[in-house]
Amino acid sequence: MLIIRLWNYFRGYVIIRIEGLTLERFINLAAINNVYLWDIERYDYTTLEAKVSLKGVKELREIILKAGCRLNIISKEGLPFLLSRLRKRKMLAIGFVLVIGVIFFLTSFIWNIEINSTGDLNEEELIEYLNKEGIKIGIKKSIIEEEELKINILEKFEDIAYVNINIKGTNLVIELKERSYITEDETIDKNKPCNIVASKKGIIEKTIAKNGNVVVEKGEIVEKGQLLITGIVQNDLEENILLVHANGEILARTYYTNTIKEPIVKEIQEETGEKYFSREIKIGNKSIHLKNGDIPFENYIEYIDDKEKGFYSIIPFDVITHEYREVKNKTIKQNVDSLKESLNVIITQKTMKEIPENSQVVSKDIEFETEDNFLIAKIQLELIEDIGKIEYIKEELYDKPEEDIEENEEE
Amino acid sequence: MAKKIENAKNSIAEVLELPKEIILDLPKITMIGSIQLYIENHKGIVEYSKERIRINSKVGIIRIIGKKMIIKNIVSEEIVITGEIINIEFI
Repeated sequence: MLIIRLWNYFRGYVIIRIEGLTLERFINLAAINNVYLWDIERYDYTTLEAKVSLKGVKELREIILKAGCRLNIISKEGLPFLLSRLRKRKMLAIGFVLVIGVIFFLTSFIWNIEINSTGDLNEEELIEYLNKEGIKIGIKKSIIEEEELKINILEKFEDIAYVNINIKGTNLVIELKERSYITEDETIDKNKPCNIVASKKGIIEKTIAKNGNVVVEKGEIVEKGQLLITGIVQNDLEENILLVHANGEILARTYYTNTIKEPIVKEIQEETGEKYFSREIKIGNKSIHLKNGDIPFENYIEYIDDKEKGFYSIIPFDVITHEYREVKNKTIKQNVDSLKESLNVIITQKTMKEIPENSQVVSKDIEFETEDNFLIAKIQLELIEDIGKIEYIKEELYDKPEEDIEENEEE
Repeated sequence: MAKKIENAKNSIAEVLELPKEIILDLPKITMIGSIQLYIENHKGIVEYSKERIRINSKVGIIRIIGKKMIIKNIVSEEIVITGEIINIEFI
């Protein structure tokens, strides 16, 4: 039946009202003459309403005469009538076309630049660079040459190992992967002779020299800057001096201390739940703050509803909501034992972040002290870490012997 | 005589398993719950109002009593009535 309905809708139909005394006769005549009537509804003894196709209406004229009724067309329904009605309303059609046009037009621009990076890359720098290249919010999509931009970014930013640029709708999505340095620090010039010196105080645990001569022993206490592996190699037999790029690991026991202070009696701000709102209307750079009287709180925290608007940021009109939450200052005395426990966790986590990555913790010692109103936590970590640091040898000092070597070799 | 022909038709229909409504020209009435009613092989409407519809058929007038009934559609062979149907009678 739905198909018939649809068919009728596309073909167009009329709702007719028949008035007369012999309505049953009219219906029968219509049925016999193959005029399809539907939704026949009797209103009262002399009137009924029915739906009939456009073609059927013409055929009904004869039947009406035979049955002695009167026919009124109440309304015309269906697609053909709808179209003819729309034809009269030109502005509507123009508006429709215009809306579609505007949507097409607007979607041909970039309205949002999204940078997805894995590391802590300086995104602002990249955005600045993109802006300089002419890629900013509001440019046409067709301007962007993805391949070229990719190459440019890779050339400009050495830290970026991989770039993928995607245009998704009106979003420009830049995916980045930072270069990770697995190998040794590239800033070290391997051809330059150097010494390894201590970067901090410590007790030597183990020495592994890959190049150069170790000048310290296990158990020795070294000061900061003390020579550990020398790059000046002297042969016992010959008195020539050879300069090498010293390399090796010096593992030493070092100590690391850290303290944090936490007041036992603490003043905190507690929200009371009372709120006060005000609105600020922003037009361009100017703003009007609409306030309904003064803020009725003595102490409060202000929250500004400052959300990222993306596309709408172009419109120089904005309503900012300020929210004021009333707070009460409260002094609370904290339980020393639980404070100690929490400080223990905090200081350990904090210190673990600060210590060098490849070090090994041998022991941990935390002490607590109370002083006036404060609880002081002191942590001492015993670490085993590589304390070696490269120090280049000034070659000028040894220039002469080197020449000698060459001469010797020639001989 | 007419009755004899009628009986013969009936037995032929039974033997050959032909639809009786066609052979015997009887109305076929199908109801969906009490909300819709199909009548095939009708012979025209006698009376039509929202509460009462009378339809002519070979075996007599079919009277349908109900509420808010409308004729959904009508062609020469078939009629569809919807609404709250309460009662159907052959009179």
